[in-house]
Amino acid sequence: MDFKRFLKGLQDIVGEKNVVYHSDDLLVFEYDGSVDRRMPDAVVFPNSTQEVSKVIALACRNRIPVVGRGTGTGLSGGAIAPPGGIQVAFTRMNRILEVDTDNRMALVEPGVINLDLDTRVRKEGLRYAPDPSSQKACSLGGNIAENSGGPHCLAYGTTTNHVLGMEVVLEDGSIVNLGSMARETTGYDLRGVFTGSEGTFGIATKIAVRLLPVPEAVRTFLAIFPDVGTACTAVSAVIEHGIVPAALEMIDALTIQAVQNVSDAGYPDDAGAVLLIELEGLCDEVDEIGKEVEAALWDTGATQVRTAQAAEERQQLWVGRNGALGALGSIAPNYFLVDGVVPRTQLAQVLGQVAEVSRKYDIPIANVFHAGDGNLHPCLLFDERKPGALENIVEAGTEVLQICVDAGGTLTGEHGVGLEKKEQMPLVFSEDDMAAMILVRDAFAPANSLNPGKIFPDGTKPVPRAHPAAPGMTV
Amino acid sequence: MESSLLDRLSRLLGGSVVSPGDGYEIDGLTPQVVVRPADRLQLSEIIRWASSEQVSLLPRGGGTRSGLGNVPRKADVVLDLGAFNRLLDYQPADMTATVEAGVTLSSLQEQLSSGGEFVPMESAVADRSTVGGILSVGAGGPLSHTYGLPREWLIGIGVMTTQGVSTKAGGKVVKNVTGYDLDKLYTGSLGTLGVIVEASFKLLPRDPQSGTLMASFPSLAASIAVGKKLLHSSAAPLGFHAVTSGVSRRLQDSVQAASQDLGLNDEETALSFSFFAGRAQATRRRLDESAALLLAEGAIAVQRIEGNSAKGMLRWITDVPAEIGRESTLVIKLSVQSKSVARTSAECSDILLFGEGPDQMADPGFGTVRLQWPESQDGPNRGAGIDQSILETVKKIRQIAHQYGGSAVVEHCPLSTKRQMDVWGDLPDSLEIMQAIKKRFDPGETLNPGRFLGGI
Repeated sequence: MDFKRFLKGLQDIVGEKNVVYHSDDLLVFEYDGSVDRRMPDAVVFPNSTQEVSKVIALACRNRIPVVGRGTGTGLSGGAIAPPGGIQVAFTRMNRILEVDTDNRMALVEPGVINLDLDTRVRKEGLRYAPDPSSQKACSLGGNIAENSGGPHCLAYGTTTNHVLGMEVVLEDGSIVNLGSMARETTGYDLRGVFTGSEGTFGIATKIAVRLLPVPEAVRTFLAIFPDVGTACTAVSAVIEHGIVPAALEMIDALTIQAVQNVSDAGYPDDAGAVLLIELEGLCDEVDEIGKEVEAALWDTGATQVRTAQAAEERQQLWVGRNGALGALGSIAPNYFLVDGVVPRTQLAQVLGQVAEVSRKYDIPIANVFHAGDGNLHPCLLFDERKPGALENIVEAGTEVLQICVDAGGTLTGEHGVGLEKKEQMPLVFSEDDMAAMILVRDAFAPANSLNPGKIFPDGTKPVPRAHPAAPGMTV
Repeated sequence: MESSLLDRLSRLLGGSVVSPGDGYEIDGLTPQVVVRPADRLQLSEIIRWASSEQVSLLPRGGGTRSGLGNVPRKADVVLDLGAFNRLLDYQPADMTATVEAGVTLSSLQEQLSSGGEFVPMESAVADRSTVGGILSVGAGGPLSHTYGLPREWLIGIGVMTTQGVSTKAGGKVVKNVTGYDLDKLYTGSLGTLGVIVEASFKLLPRDPQSGTLMASFPSLAASIAVGKKLLHSSAAPLGFHAVTSGVSRRLQDSVQAASQDLGLNDEETALSFSFFAGRAQATRRRLDESAALLLAEGAIAVQRIEGNSAKGMLRWITDVPAEIGRESTLVIKLSVQSKSVARTSAECSDILLFGEGPDQMADPGFGTVRLQWPESQDGPNRGAGIDQSILETVKKIRQIAHQYGGSAVVEHCPLSTKRQMDVWGDLPDSLEIMQAIKKRFDPGETLNPGRFLGGI
């Protein structure tokens, strides 16, 4: 197969300057937000569904695998190019096509940044609820591929609960619509099974999402606890009151230390854990429930409780949580992030076991996580320059995943399986379970040429590279 | 042939779980046998046997929606999942529960209420509808505007394949993107891809206070317009429904009493229901502000009901769709964008069948419009002329639904008419993918053959 001819074919479709293939230019596309990397053979920047369709059809005819790429913020290796593959990047397809306030719906191209959509619709008194912590940088297309969550998905659900319909390009270039503008559709729920399929079923080129009204009142609480165990008790107490907060986040002592190193979040030196709780609703509800939350926090041993209602003050309370991952760079140059999820009631025990892993492998582990839905993010900190450090980390990370699975949880709450966890799938699914999943993939993409080599084990353990911790990174 | 199938299955499974299919008729077809497997082992045996013998299986929970879908191509054996009736796991502190497919919704909600929680799924005839059936149909209820469909609450599922193999997807945690989301595929698949054996749900805490507002309006159109405004206000209800007089006449006695002062005497008068639940003070505020809005925008009268009576009204409106089928010639459920409900309703009201326009139940929040034409004056319907009229009506309604980007499903019609149509409506351009999925999951067309969209 003549690669030069293939490149020419791509250039004919999208224009010469919209095909990148020099190795210097390809460097930045070697990465995403994970520790994996591979150089794509080319990156293509289409500007329309028709161009996407022709590019994918051409790649298919030439047996070249394709992966869609939003902004490359994914944490499981989803946008990493398959061997001998190309990336179709949606940088240019970043338009908000329609905001329909009457219908509470927005129609977007996949390259639209999550926060940009939310900001735009807030002008109409609406919001787009799924808010991954990377929302300043992540794209809607990527959100669809991973079924992204975020702190507010505790109350509102994840991306799949907000997608109405999609225009999708399949591996042979054909264009098909999944779902519809109506909330209820007929036939199999293809929009549902497509969401979270990590780019292996097709590539979405238009996405219709549901919008919710902006709540009348929002109140945020920040509570300091002497240790993580006590903070977990507070989480249980809040839930036991029959309260489902809009967000419920926790960061541990090591993370607090990191945050204090780089910014002034104003945490006391002896803070063992910080809990963030956000309530949304009518003023009356927020007042009533807020009192119960505050009482629960003090009753379970908070040493300090701060609260804020106005937007700017609330932002201040979130500073520490939002900057947590970036701040870890002040402790160690690299981190390895685990996206385990466990039943909420198992949190304290699992965190204890994670602390054991930290001791056993002599690795500092900082915990930043969505306490409300049991989605942990233990960050294993290390220095890749030290010989054996990376291997040590990977072994420890696998042990943490096993702990999560043993506690009744699973491998990934929101980042996806991708490359990173594909060899661990047998920890939660049998051969038969995975066979059923692959049947669905076969129906969408019989040649398996879209993002192949992801999700399912094939004995090819990816060789991880260390991830440099840097400001601006989020989890 | 009849006793042969019964005999063969009795020998395979034992006589106690096998019985003749009389009384289990589906669309005029009487299955030869009903099998009620006692456990997963028996279920696996029957499925494997049916697959290899090319015998069709029709899974059944409470049988409350057995009329939904196209006429089965083959209806050999009904597979009754009634013995799968255990609550397997309930963790109130985790707000999750795992339940077998044969548990009724009422039973599940009752068991969950002991932990102060509920699963936001709704179904008519909740004391007979089962979890497996509700998931297989995948439909919502009166509060879908807020709670969505059953798919939103399902976090894990156990399905037995047409090869008799147990598989699972999802898990027991509320946040999970491990592997493909087959939960979504199985929900609403009408039992055509596998037999649902168990399901895990995420739950919500029970609301301490409930309230309902009934309001009368000079017309259905007026009530829908005001409903839209109400749903977009800060005092928005969990769900809003407007019904025509033909429907409100079926109000049970207790509800009739409550509606006495609402001036429902005029044929044109429409009745609306707004459902609220939550913390006491907030609920009271929503009721106050909503009542004021309804009156300010033209309601004739507003009646406020709280507590158990409010719940009773919610149960009534949940059950009505199941009941109206019995006295109707034709029932069609449209799903359109919420902004199109007003126009859809208005255009549909002009579509006559046997000289009558339809009775309607409209949900301008979620986008559902249910249409019902009563039986013709000449009694139960027969004959090709009647079929033709009904098919024409369905065609016109489908055109309207299509215009507004939605779908129209025929939920009830005479059998002779049903045999001539696809009740699900227009075929989507993704039909090929759906067919490919069915082919891979059920190559032998064992499960519910022909009942789904496009004859899948």
